[in-house]
Amino acid sequence: MEVGNQEALDTAGESMGRLAAAAALLEKTVAWLEERQAALAGDVQKIVATVEQNNDSSHREHELEQKLTAAEAQIAELKAQFAQAETRTRKTVPAATVQLLSKRGLEELDHIDAGTLDAALEGLSLEQRIAVKAQLMRSGSLA
Amino acid sequence: MRLEAMAVKIPAYAGHPNRIPFEGVLTLVDVASDKAPSGARGHRVLLTHEAAMAALPSLLGMAVDYRPGWDGHDARRKCGLITEADVEGSELRVSGYLYGRDFPEVEEQMKRGEEGTMGMSYELADAHVEDMRAEVWRLSRATFTGAAILLREKAAYRRTSFRLTQCRSSARRPHRPGEPVRVAAKSVAGGSMMQSIDTLREREANLWK
Repeated sequence: MEVGNQEALDTAGESMGRLAAAAALLEKTVAWLEERQAALAGDVQKIVATVEQNNDSSHREHELEQKLTAAEAQIAELKAQFAQAETRTRKTVPAATVQLLSKRGLEELDHIDAGTLDAALEGLSLEQRIAVKAQLMRSGSLA
Repeated sequence: MRLEAMAVKIPAYAGHPNRIPFEGVLTLVDVASDKAPSGARGHRVLLTHEAAMAALPSLLGMAVDYRPGWDGHDARRKCGLITEADVEGSELRVSGYLYGRDFPEVEEQMKRGEEGTMGMSYELADAHVEDMRAEVWRLSRATFTGAAILLREKAAYRRTSFRLTQCRSSARRPHRPGEPVRVAAKSVAGGSMMQSIDTLREREANLWK
């Protein structure tokens, strides 16, 4: 008998809990509907004529823009430095190498094709070929 | 040009140390804002002339406030009072007093900043939008609850302005205690409008408490 009563109490308790949850949900739904109705009717509680303050996004945009500008400036500077370095290093190709290549038909040292260079260096020892190629690579003529 | 004005008459007091007169353009009427104001869910807004005229009385006696960064409103930093409002063409102009002694930083900012950098922003309550789905929200009804002094670039309307003016006291004799305070609301275009005087009188009396 006592066990039966306990079960009934438990069931009633569970039902009460479910009912309370349903009531809370209904309250929420009503509030949402009221809000929605007000919104559809065109009523706005408050408008402040300042630029949207949740402008975290625009603030972020501004920050990113600044970073981008700085990065672009840095890239431009590095490019300029690289170009200068390239010009400087090209000047460091030893005169003997330039002369040697010139004799073998390579006058233009700005951009040398690997195949053309191999053909021009034919007849030289392996060590010499490596040395010439290393010098050209350092100067940036040979990629 | 059509001019419609409304004012709360504050008795003049020559050399008042805490009153600095100001004037400004609070907003534009029948013109869409340049940016979406706060609370408009990303929509630009347009305050109709009719709504502005109907709301003009609600503006009188409202405070002007500021935020230290000059970038918005702070309703708890009320540094002045609006006593007059006019609609002149498309501009809703206001004037009033700043509490200069209580808020010296406001005057300093005005002196320090370049001319034309400061603007104004309104605060509206109970606004009615004709069509919530429209790109530009047309406000057909609203109540002014305050205004702010801020950097013009931070205002949703970029053509607002704010500046301190010379003392405009019309009478040199100070107001005597017990002397009745004249409170008038008038419409230049629409004739005398003395209604709501009691309310305005009460509001004004409270100001000096």
